Amino acid sequence: MAELLRTEGLGRSFGGVRALDGVNLDIAEGEVHALCGENGAGKSTLIRILCGALRPSAGRVLWLGAPLPEGVHRCEAAGIAAIHQEPVSFPDLDAVDNVFLGWEPRRGPLLDRRAMVRRTREALRELGEDLPLARPVGELPMAQRQMVALARALVRECRLLILDEPTAALSARETDALFAVVRRMRERGVSVLYVSHRLDEVFALADRITVLRDGRKVDTLPARETDRDGLIRRMVGREVPEAPSTETAAAGGPVLRVEGLSLPGAFEGVSLEVRSGEVVGLAGLVGAGRTELLEAIYGLRRFREGKATVGGRALRPGSVPSSLAAGVALVPEDRHRQGLIPSWPVSWNVSMASLGAVSRLGWISPGAERARAEAMARLLQIKCAGVRAPASSLSGGNQQKVVLAKGLFLGPRLLLLDEPTRGVDVGAKHEVHQLVRRLAAEGAAVLAASSDMPELLALCDRIVALRGGRISGELRRSEFSEPALLSLILPEEGAA
Amino acid sequence: MRLRGVPGPALVLALLCALATAINPAFLSPRNLTDLMLAAAPTLIAACGLMLVVASGEIDISIGSLLGLCAAVAGTLSSPDRLGLPPSLAVAATLALGLGVGLLNGVLVSLVRVPSIIVTLGMLSVLKGANELLMGGKWITRLPDGLRAWGTGSVLGVPVPIAACAAVVALTWLLANRTAWGRRVFAVGSNADSARLAGIPVGRTKLAAFGLAGLLVALATLVSVPRLSLVDSGVGVGFELLVVTCVVVGGVSIRGGTGTILGVVLGVLLLSSVRTVLIFLQLGESSLYWERAIQGALILAAVMGDAAGRRREARA
Amino acid sequence: MRRLIATHEAGLAALLAALLVAAWRTDPAFVSWRVQSGLLPQIGETALLAVPMTLIVITGGIDLSVGSVMALASVLFGLGFRSGWPVEACAAAALAAGLLCGALNGWFVTRFRVHPLIVTLGTMSAFRGLAEGVSAARPVSGFPDTFLRIGQGWTAVGLFAALTLAGTAVLARHVLGRRIYGIGLGESAARASGWNVDRLKASLYAFSGLMAGVAGVLFTARRNTAKADVGAGIELEVVTAVVLGGTSIFGGRGTLVGTALGLAVLHEVRQFVGWRWSNDVLNLVVVGALLIGAVTLNGVISRRPAGSVEGG
Repeated sequence: MAELLRTEGLGRSFGGVRALDGVNLDIAEGEVHALCGENGAGKSTLIRILCGALRPSAGRVLWLGAPLPEGVHRCEAAGIAAIHQEPVSFPDLDAVDNVFLGWEPRRGPLLDRRAMVRRTREALRELGEDLPLARPVGELPMAQRQMVALARALVRECRLLILDEPTAALSARETDALFAVVRRMRERGVSVLYVSHRLDEVFALADRITVLRDGRKVDTLPARETDRDGLIRRMVGREVPEAPSTETAAAGGPVLRVEGLSLPGAFEGVSLEVRSGEVVGLAGLVGAGRTELLEAIYGLRRFREGKATVGGRALRPGSVPSSLAAGVALVPEDRHRQGLIPSWPVSWNVSMASLGAVSRLGWISPGAERARAEAMARLLQIKCAGVRAPASSLSGGNQQKVVLAKGLFLGPRLLLLDEPTRGVDVGAKHEVHQLVRRLAAEGAAVLAASSDMPELLALCDRIVALRGGRISGELRRSEFSEPALLSLILPEEGAA
Repeated sequence: MRLRGVPGPALVLALLCALATAINPAFLSPRNLTDLMLAAAPTLIAACGLMLVVASGEIDISIGSLLGLCAAVAGTLSSPDRLGLPPSLAVAATLALGLGVGLLNGVLVSLVRVPSIIVTLGMLSVLKGANELLMGGKWITRLPDGLRAWGTGSVLGVPVPIAACAAVVALTWLLANRTAWGRRVFAVGSNADSARLAGIPVGRTKLAAFGLAGLLVALATLVSVPRLSLVDSGVGVGFELLVVTCVVVGGVSIRGGTGTILGVVLGVLLLSSVRTVLIFLQLGESSLYWERAIQGALILAAVMGDAAGRRREARA
Repeated sequence: MRRLIATHEAGLAALLAALLVAAWRTDPAFVSWRVQSGLLPQIGETALLAVPMTLIVITGGIDLSVGSVMALASVLFGLGFRSGWPVEACAAAALAAGLLCGALNGWFVTRFRVHPLIVTLGTMSAFRGLAEGVSAARPVSGFPDTFLRIGQGWTAVGLFAALTLAGTAVLARHVLGRRIYGIGLGESAARASGWNVDRLKASLYAFSGLMAGVAGVLFTARRNTAKADVGAGIELEVVTAVVLGGTSIFGGRGTLVGTALGLAVLHEVRQFVGWRWSNDVLNLVVVGALLIGAVTLNGVISRRPAGSVEGG
């Protein structure tokens, strides 16, 4: 088979963190090529470079032997279409517009609307999809939105289709339909780069599999030469870190008690308990409901059913002040949007959730605020040019410590962590982990959600796994292993 | 066809008309309907332009002052009491002025990246001041017949303003729905990042929308001002608020990306008919003073209806 | 960030000084204490409204209805007076009406999560219409001299000065000030920090309404007339002063000192032009050009992302 695309020594760093490092990959015409790896292995970075959304900082991409053009629309015109990651989509416009925007066929000064409708309809028919052409795509269910994006790729006669976790929001039947589409595309000579956590899907579709780990390529191998366990071994590829056994303090009484908590569309019937001195992990794929559960406990979302108590106090659904009063602190996932105000000084950010502690009758004492921020900065070893420096001037790891400091300022009884070390380099990651362990040793209860499995295994005393919004199992420390955890969070065999 | 912004205003409009007709059947007389259309025409012409600006995610609140300045320029150039130039020249200058001011707004918004509400707020002041400087506290009563014809003449038996308005509505529909640029205006307002990824020149697309809006305000001037008995510096005051109100009531989301011509037409008809309906309801002269309160209530109702609609969509 | 504000304010102060010097060179009498103090009350109502407007714009909102609330307050004052109420009761009714109008704005903005621009555009028409409706556009005048006196003097300007001092302290040092900036910079982060964002926003709109009520009463006293066209167009003037003063229309940035300087520039330009050429016209052009120029310069310096009306 002829070669369609090839990368040579592809690398990309983000502020000192190497997301991708010396990756050589080739994709042949008409093959389905799967890309596997844990979260943070560099899959998204690779995909974004291949569809033109990101420029590599090292190496190059050859498309049909020539350098890849820059910019998503030029790559699209050249024949590369990516679905899900950065899709070209306009929620207020209908399917026909979404298929043709940016390269509209014209007849004289006017759009050739009839041809647009006809070709969209043909493409959708080929995809086996019958959706209302006149409705804004933002009102369509996720599966149909995806079909619109696929139709755009089809009409543009793309030669490489990049599918990034395409089945994450699909039902089993919709997944089958998508598989049929992928196979038909392959028959037409279209190549597919398929990214999925669902390994059975990978084996059902792929001709070849490339495994990434920590930004590097581990292996490219024909799918029939390996199996699920072999793939997981390659993805994990390292010894499970030793348990920090000395620090595992004996857990005290229960702090957080959640019973039958439900939020339609996010999670259902979740019951769990976190005791004082305990670090409990929350594992699950994207969309499993981890963030939603943490936000519901914190009061940012209003849970519909069930009960949550902290230290015996019932939390009012959807009330942050009630959770704060009960001693709950949240370190949110989206640091820049929810965690920090980047243009503010470090000290202001640290005191954001606890202004009462540095003010009298509402008047803030700058001295007290600064002193407390400096104490927190020392405690957490935040590296900054003084606490008056804007938070945006700090590195990702130190910014994350500022968010932690903000949560720790009041000495919470329950600390909720959402992706505590995302985008943080290895050294800072270790420091954050030590800090969390120390807090637990001092009696706090910690519930930490993360998509980084080694992190959960290293940090936690116990891990609760979520799958599709429900608890799928729990691992005690003696049972910790990556394969065991993976099999709890990945969709059950045959469910896809 | 997205129905947002259509059923609500259509229902209220139908109710108002039914009420007025029930009390006085003359409401549906050709004469009254023609008067209604004549009053609505300039608003609708300007609203078509504003709809595209709002759909692109921006706003233009300088259109009232622009209408006033256009009126002053047209009058000053053509009136026999002033410069007395040929009416055709005055018409060309007015259209050029509208287009130029619109493009200037667009350049400041899309190239210099000043928020459109600030640019057009400043422009509102500048144009109003220029208008008053030009008029010098006096007013113009005599306009040449060539200019009067734009407001009072007729084409094939249809009054010029109504004919022009119909043409603008048809052309705007065509532009918005059947040209690449029109669809791109909505795309830019719906998701500017995606638009950029799709290779759409976001700035130029918005620039053109502002230019067109300015041009249409000039046209609205030409078909409305010659109907006035006198032109003074007060022409166009508050016009921008009326037009924005019509567009919002017509279901065009201020966040950009949505909006239909049909909705805008209904919005304009609804707001323009409030006064006539009040007259026909014969509640006495003092009832007319409530016109603006009713218009304000209509915006708030549209806002609440829109919010309720969004909640329903989110639940579905 | 702080340096940027400082440069903006320093620039405005320099501009103001240059204006006064230029005015003094052309006509020394204009810069005299007697003339200046005589002209000062004319900016009074605008200045009063600019205080809450600054706070609201810092949170990323806007209140276009202030002029209409002024009119409603004025009209209610007049109606009460005509029905024989004592002046104090009339004033209380007018202020209560202003507060109620502002609270209504706040309720709409926080309850429906609709852009304040649209909400207050609607209430701008609604309140003005209400004023026209209840007064049937008939003015009321003939108020007692004791009442008229509070409009002639420096009541509004004095109140503005007090509010600016207090507000500056609150913005710089008080928890409320911190929150006002925080909401404008990152509403999500503010909510995630447990701040009651909606209550604070609603209170600011209510405050704005109350001040519009005060301005309506003072305007009535200054002009000895209560009618429905009071305060027409004043909202644009207020927003101009606020933005000229360096408050970002996207929220999160701005000071009351900047607003005071913006007001001063606006006032001096207008008064000098009116004084020198005895017409009130050229200043519109100058003020509009100043606004566009200031914001363009600000935009070029701070390079904000392409603006839409969605301020926050």
